[in-house]
Amino acid sequence: MKAPIIASLIVVGIASTSAQAASIYAGESRAAAVCSQCHGIRGTSADAPFPQLAGRDADYLESALKQYRDKTRKSDIMNNIAGSLSDQDIDNVAAYYARIKP
Amino acid sequence: MKTIKKRLPHAVVSGVAALLLPLALQAASDDEHKYHQLFEENCASCHGSDHGGYLAPALNAETLKGRSPTALRTIIMAGSFDTLMPPFYGKLSDDNIRGLVSHLQKTPKLDNPAWTIDDIKKSLKVYVKDESTLPAKPAYQIDNIDDIIGVAARGKYGRGEGSRAIFINSKTHQKIGEVPTGTAAHIIEYNPANPRWAYVKTDTAEIFKVDLYSMQAVRSVKTGYNGPGIGVSRDGKYIMAGSFVPHNAVILDADTLEPLKTFELEGIDPDGKQVSSDSGMIIGTPFDDIFAIALENAGQVWVVDLKDGFPVTRITNVGHHLHDAFLTHGGQKLMIASYDDSIVAAIDLKDRKIIKKLEAGCVPHVGGGSAVEVDGRTLGFGTNFGDCDKTVVSVWDLDKMEVVKQIPVSGGTESPAAHANAPYVAVDIISKDRRARTVQLIDKKTLEVVKTLDVGGHAYFPEYSADGKFLYISAGYSGDEVVVYDSVTLQKIATIPMESPAGIFSHGRVRYMTRGLSPDEIKGAK
Repeated sequence: MKAPIIASLIVVGIASTSAQAASIYAGESRAAAVCSQCHGIRGTSADAPFPQLAGRDADYLESALKQYRDKTRKSDIMNNIAGSLSDQDIDNVAAYYARIKP
Repeated sequence: MKTIKKRLPHAVVSGVAALLLPLALQAASDDEHKYHQLFEENCASCHGSDHGGYLAPALNAETLKGRSPTALRTIIMAGSFDTLMPPFYGKLSDDNIRGLVSHLQKTPKLDNPAWTIDDIKKSLKVYVKDESTLPAKPAYQIDNIDDIIGVAARGKYGRGEGSRAIFINSKTHQKIGEVPTGTAAHIIEYNPANPRWAYVKTDTAEIFKVDLYSMQAVRSVKTGYNGPGIGVSRDGKYIMAGSFVPHNAVILDADTLEPLKTFELEGIDPDGKQVSSDSGMIIGTPFDDIFAIALENAGQVWVVDLKDGFPVTRITNVGHHLHDAFLTHGGQKLMIASYDDSIVAAIDLKDRKIIKKLEAGCVPHVGGGSAVEVDGRTLGFGTNFGDCDKTVVSVWDLDKMEVVKQIPVSGGTESPAAHANAPYVAVDIISKDRRARTVQLIDKKTLEVVKTLDVGGHAYFPEYSADGKFLYISAGYSGDEVVVYDSVTLQKIATIPMESPAGIFSHGRVRYMTRGLSPDEIKGAK
C-alpha cells in the first residue's frame, strides 16, 4: 500500500518543482489582490458571509480552488474568480493562507 | 425625500379599472422607496445621503450616465480592489443589486436634506443616566492616560459589528477597550480638560461621548448626515461639529451633547460667488476660547468666540477648497490646506487674518499635520495627495513662514506623524498600487527619506505613542490590523487585529497640540 502513495508524492514533488515551488510571497500578493477583498487576510468581517481562509489546510484550499475553476463545484462568484487563477497562483495562494494564523 | 403612501383596500381597487394607473405609480414609488432605503442602509455612509459622494464617489444619474449596468453590478457584488468598497455578494440579493443599479442610474443628486437643531436634539441618546456611578479611575492597568491610543476601525462594510473605536495601551500594545459605533468611526478627539472623556465621530456624523475609564459610550448625538469635522474647546466645555450634508455646523455642550447653536455655512468664495459650503476641519486651540472652522467651498475660515451668542469673525479669500489644518505657535497660528490652489495658508488667530500663503505640493492634505523643532527652527510638515507628477512632502519654517524644502516621496501622502522624541517623520503613501502598503520615513535633520516600511493592507494614518517610543500604523482596507514599530530601530513589535482600521489618535495629542511638538510648546501659550 505504501509504495503507490510514495510514488505519487514523488510525482507531485517533481511536478511542482519542475514548475516552481509554491511561493508564499507570490501568494501574498495574489491573495491581497484577489481573495482578501472578501475573505480578508487573517479573517473575514464579523458581518461577512464569506468563510475564513487563514490557517486552512493548503491541500484543501488547492483542491477547492481547482474545483471552483473546473466548475465541478458550483458558485457563481467563485467559478469566475478561480477561473482567473493559474495552477501556480493556486499553489501560492493556498500555501500563503495555510501559513497565516487566523 | 419622503414618499407618502396610502394603501387602498384590495377589494376596492380590484374592481375599479380607473385605479389601475395610480396603482402602477404607487408600485413604482414603493420600489423607489425600497431602493432609497437600501441605499441609505448600505451605501450612503460613504457615497453620501444626497447621492453627492463623500469618502467614495457620487452615485447619481449624472455621474453614472453611460456606465454599463453589468459593470456596476459586478463592482457592487465583488467590491472594488484597492478601495474601501466591500463585496455585497451574499449581503444583498442579486435582484436587489440589479434594482439598486437601475435606481442609482435614474436618481439625480438630491437637495441637501435638512438636519435642524431640533433633529439634533431629538437624536440625543443617553446610555449611562447617572455618570456619578462611573468608576473614579481607569478600570484597567495603565501608567498614564496619555498612553491610550484610539483607532477608528471602520468595519468592512463601513457599518455593523466591525465598526468601533478601539483603544490600546501603547506601552503593552494590548486592547483595553472597544466601543461599537454602528457606522464607521472616523475621528477620535480627547477632552483637554478632563482625561476621562473621548469623543468619537462616525461617518454618519454621530458623536459618541466615551468614558475612557470604563470604556463605554455614555451618550451620543447625530449632528448631520456626514462630514468629519469635530473639535473640542481648550476648557473642555464645548464641542463643535460640522457636516458636508447638510451644510451646517453646531456647537454642543461637551458634557451633555445638547446642541447650543447651529451655523449655516455659506459665504462669498474667492471668486466672488455666494455659495453654500461643506464644513472642513474644526479645531479648538490652547491659545484662546475659540473654535476655527474651515468652510471648504466658500474658502473662508470662521473664528467663533466661545461667549454669549457665539459670534463669528469671517476670514475670507483663504483658498479655493479648504480642508484640514494644524496649529503652531502655542495655537495662535493655523496652517490650513487648500486643495485647489495647492497652498497652505498661515492664519493668525489673534489678528484673525491671513499671514501668508505657502506652496504645498499639489492637492495638499495635511491630515493632523506635524511640526518639529530641529536646530532652533520649528519646521512644519505637510502631506499632499499629489494628483500630479510632483509627489513631495512640504517642509516649512513656521517662524519665517517660508518653504524650506519639498522632499520627494514615492507617491501621494495623506497624514504625517512626528514626535519630539522620535527621529523620523512618518508619511503614508496612498498611491493606488503596491505603494499603498508602505509608509516612508523622513529624517528630521537631513530632511531625506531614509526608509520605507512595508506595512501591508492600505497603510495609512501613522501615529506615535505619547512617549514617542512606538510608531502605530493602520494596515487598513483588507489588511485588518494595526502594526506597531519601534520608533528608532523600526523593527516590527506587534500587530493588533481589527476590521479595516483607519485614523489613529494618541491621547498625547491633548498635550502637544500638534504632533511632533513637545508639551512645553503649548505650556508657553497659557
